Amino acid sequence: MKRYAYYLSCINESMTKEVDRSIELWQKELGVEFVKLHEGTCCGGSNLDYVSPKHFALVNARNIALAEKMGLDLIVSCNTCLMTIRTAKKKLDESPELKKEVNEILKKEGLEYRGTSDVRHLLWVLVDDVGLDTIRQKVKVPLKNYRIAPFYGCHILRPSTVLGHDNPVDPSSLDQLIEALGGQTIPYKHKNRCCGFHTLLVAEQESLNVAAEALQEAIEAKADFIVTPCPLCHTSLDGYQAKALKNAGIESSIPVFHISEMVGLALGYSAKQLGIKRHIVG
Amino acid sequence: MTVPTDQHKELKKDVTFRIFRFNPQVDSKPYFDDYTIPVERGITVLRSLNYIKEHIDASISFRAFCQAGICGSCGMRINSLSQLACTTQVWDVLSKSKEHGVIKVEPLRNLPLIKDLIVDMDPLVGKMKHYSNWVDSTMPEASMGKKEFLISEQEFLRYDKATDCILCASCVSECSILRVNKEYVSPAVLLKSFRMNVDSRDAIHEQRLAELVKDHGVWDCTHCYRCQETCVKSIPIMDAIHGIREDAIESRGMKDTSGSKHAEAFMSDIEKKGKLVEATLPIRTNGVLWTLQNLLPMAVKMIIKRRTPPPPPLVKSAKGIKIFREMFREMTEHVKQDHKSHKK
Amino acid sequence: MRFERMKPFDIVIVGGGGAGLYAAMEAMKTNPSLNIAVLSKVYPNRSHTSAAQGGANAALANKAKDDTVEMHIFDTIKGSDYLADQDAVDVLCSEAPKIIRELDNIGTPWSRMDDNTIAQRPFGGAGRPRCCYCSDKTGHTILQTLYEQCLKKGVIFFNEYFALSLSVKGSRSRGLIAMNMKSGKVEAFPAKTVIFATGGYAKMYWNRSSNAAGNTGDGQAIAYRAGIPMKDMEFVQFHPTGLRKSGLLVTEGARGEGGYLINRDGERFMARYAKEKMELGPRDLVSRSLETEILEGRGFDSPAGKYLHLDLTHLGADLIKSRLPQIREMSMQFEGIDPIVEPIPVRPTAHYSMGGIDTDNFTRTVMEGVYAAGECGCVSVHGANRLGGNSLLDILVFGRIAGHTAAQEAGKFEPGTISEAELTAQYDDIRSFMHSSGHYERYGELREELGQTLGTNVGIFREASLLKKGIQDVAELKERFKKVRVFDTSDVFNTNLMQVLELRNMLDLAETVATGAYAREESRGSHTRTDFPVRDDAKWHKHTLSTQVNGRVALGEKPVTMGRYELQERTY
Repeated sequence: MKRYAYYLSCINESMTKEVDRSIELWQKELGVEFVKLHEGTCCGGSNLDYVSPKHFALVNARNIALAEKMGLDLIVSCNTCLMTIRTAKKKLDESPELKKEVNEILKKEGLEYRGTSDVRHLLWVLVDDVGLDTIRQKVKVPLKNYRIAPFYGCHILRPSTVLGHDNPVDPSSLDQLIEALGGQTIPYKHKNRCCGFHTLLVAEQESLNVAAEALQEAIEAKADFIVTPCPLCHTSLDGYQAKALKNAGIESSIPVFHISEMVGLALGYSAKQLGIKRHIVG
Repeated sequence: MTVPTDQHKELKKDVTFRIFRFNPQVDSKPYFDDYTIPVERGITVLRSLNYIKEHIDASISFRAFCQAGICGSCGMRINSLSQLACTTQVWDVLSKSKEHGVIKVEPLRNLPLIKDLIVDMDPLVGKMKHYSNWVDSTMPEASMGKKEFLISEQEFLRYDKATDCILCASCVSECSILRVNKEYVSPAVLLKSFRMNVDSRDAIHEQRLAELVKDHGVWDCTHCYRCQETCVKSIPIMDAIHGIREDAIESRGMKDTSGSKHAEAFMSDIEKKGKLVEATLPIRTNGVLWTLQNLLPMAVKMIIKRRTPPPPPLVKSAKGIKIFREMFREMTEHVKQDHKSHKK
Repeated sequence: MRFERMKPFDIVIVGGGGAGLYAAMEAMKTNPSLNIAVLSKVYPNRSHTSAAQGGANAALANKAKDDTVEMHIFDTIKGSDYLADQDAVDVLCSEAPKIIRELDNIGTPWSRMDDNTIAQRPFGGAGRPRCCYCSDKTGHTILQTLYEQCLKKGVIFFNEYFALSLSVKGSRSRGLIAMNMKSGKVEAFPAKTVIFATGGYAKMYWNRSSNAAGNTGDGQAIAYRAGIPMKDMEFVQFHPTGLRKSGLLVTEGARGEGGYLINRDGERFMARYAKEKMELGPRDLVSRSLETEILEGRGFDSPAGKYLHLDLTHLGADLIKSRLPQIREMSMQFEGIDPIVEPIPVRPTAHYSMGGIDTDNFTRTVMEGVYAAGECGCVSVHGANRLGGNSLLDILVFGRIAGHTAAQEAGKFEPGTISEAELTAQYDDIRSFMHSSGHYERYGELREELGQTLGTNVGIFREASLLKKGIQDVAELKERFKKVRVFDTSDVFNTNLMQVLELRNMLDLAETVATGAYAREESRGSHTRTDFPVRDDAKWHKHTLSTQVNGRVALGEKPVTMGRYELQERTY
């Protein structure tokens, strides 16, 4: 059983609870254990970094230090949390002064940021650590009748200087996971495009149009559903789907799944168990 | 030292260039033409296009000037990626082509098409003007030429990378927001605006910033990082965009625009609870009226699905929040100190 | 409608590089009420000024406290092999500190010294480190800044307009005729004054040139056809290490860090030419050495021509990555070769044209109301050989003077009117290349052949029989050009047509370069005659002038202005 520290993303604690619920169902079956990091705090959601770069460094040095204390890598299932925490890690690792300043403060809690734990996405753990062969063997209900549009989202790919797992121009890890689960990926130009989430409250029209384009391509390609490794993309593509499509004059809809749910389905869990009923688009 | 004394024969590969064609005088819609030519190692996409134009079809239209990656004329989409034709090796692109032996060449996106691979750059120039993308010097014109400004290398380094920009418009072509709103300021213009704003010789920082925080401005960026990823000069464009935002919050206050209020909410929530209070984020960003008008229908559906984020009192603080808060506030003191010494 | 007529302008500036933009800025400053237009065949920020990496010389004495304007003047005159006009060099060097400070004052980024003044570094041929720079992108940042300032001032730009001709009545210009690339229309720009600032003509060497594709001498060719004399056209500077396929420069840094030049026998051949300095000898000497190796059969062969190796492999990956990252990136991008693994193929490449439109120190040409500045003009400040760091300076100083002079003198002239008949003639002329009957030559071939004959016969080593052949070849190419065919018959953005018109300009100027080189029976600066290997001050200490008479080059001459330094032998 391989153990990991598991970062609790704000959105998975509130709106997209189904993500963590699904992971809990199948983790042991795939030989992994995610230890929840209840002391962790919000990463700053790709906003704190410019509101206050130093608080940003402190908060995320602490998040990583908590995992380091356990001697485990930190696993994240939200793209933006991933990118944000990895950005902080890069800044800390590149600046001894910043690291020192932050560690002075972390002492209070008996913590120290050393830079020993890696920060990785759930998707990467599935593909690289669990391995596609193991996953193939464990599949009970192959997704063989499904045409699936893989929507990677931005912050698992870009900036590649911070992420570096997939080629941002032509990513493949999610496609590989889908195929290992027996599903069929469709050619999908929006796979590495944006969902519009981060401007939903600031430039709503633009965000909705960005989301609508991604939905439209999947609908026109006759995909059965879209799958994404990011709960923020999910919120934009599922939660805002009706509004986005109406806005764009498109009368149709398409379900959007989290990768944790897709894995659960292939391992034989029901939609109800996985919390899929909680989605806005049925 | 081993030096080959035999004259080497260059290996050649047959490459099909699938080129986007559109002549507004005769075509009702664009189409693609295929040209297959032998290409040896070391040849760029631009040299291949030149070859096709000189030897096969002289009517193919594209811009090219310096051919050395510094003028920015030959920006185009090569296998769907916006880049300079003159710095892109054919064999490199070929090894990643989806369709074996085929390289697709298309015009940049998000700018009006003129002909074939040529797009209109005027909208970009218009935005550079709109956002005062120049230094408006603190020195009166009559005193110029007499002495230098004294500027530290440290200040120069703040805008050094940003001045690498050659306005090739690759970032413009890849921008997620420009795809859906052509009025949007554009990554290149934000980059240039940042460069001007951090220059101590400039006198109109406030005026430029006031324009940048308006609609279609800096807050409309959706952090997709496509601009930065595609930049042919590897400029960290998002750092510049974030730099403008940091500056806007610092000098114009938190309450200035919905964008700054949205960003600020993260700071205050983390300090209070260690967690984001999503339920009130729309109201704090855009006010009650906007939230009711825009999000009410959706909220109903979300309540039915039990998907609504919990109201503020029910958001559980992160474990150990007390000591976390102390540490957070200690950092606030550090930041205050930094500002003081910075101002000195 | 095939034509468009603009309201008359006080000043029409042709070219939007450093010289053109500085002229526009200065003219608006001199008289803000003037109606000024800048025409450029590219967006101004694309201009070739951006390619200048090194910097601009000015005796600011930030680095070497004992540097003086006088030392800068001497270095420039000596570097020119005493062909520069000494009063013009005085203007160039005296104005230099002022112009660099002014650029700084309007917001140009500069690298900085420890005391926060503008950084300076040493450059070839200069007695003191006086080259002001911004990393390795000085031309680029200067160009951007000037463009930004022109946008700020509200300069009217006509971008992507291709200049066709001056409209001349008697000895006066009535204005300019140009083609709007976006529409294909021929447009009239009646103007009191016209400033040519279109850059150099070294692209006529085509693939043996480091220049941008558009450095085709458009301004010079238009002026030449309008009867204005060209000066010192035979002086073309070659850089020793251009990439084999593209001609792009591999900067001296590669040799500075210890790179070897190797021939096909595996020899470090510079031992034959400069035993002590080896690869780091002066630019012209190294160029001549490479050329000798190639001529004597010790070069490598390739379809793109003969070449030599610039070998960095012995320096190791670490050093190449840390000290020469740009040279590595450039080799990979433009030649597909990683210099860590294999040597870079190089050969000498045409780099800069010292000659140009003959002007006085105020940039005036012999035609009233017509001015020229920058590489397009020839004042002359570079004489037979330009020093590194003086080309950016030239375009700035004389661009500024051109703008100032034209703004002051515009009031003296009446704007002419350009007749419909004249526009029709121009339109018919350029469209004639589209007729299928009698038009079959491909411009690409002619352009390639022009570059080849110039490189071989009017290149680094010149000799009477070669030059004769060059002159003959150019004449034949001009004949064949009459049958050239423009295959793209559309109006909108016809780059096929534009490139054919650029070729016409290069052919006209190539004739002046070859003829001037044949006539000048001496070796001076960049002009090396193997049959006349020494400088001959008694016969040739003078400028050559080329004027078009009945479609042919008529050579004249003009004395060199002295007054500061007597003739000396040029040794380093």
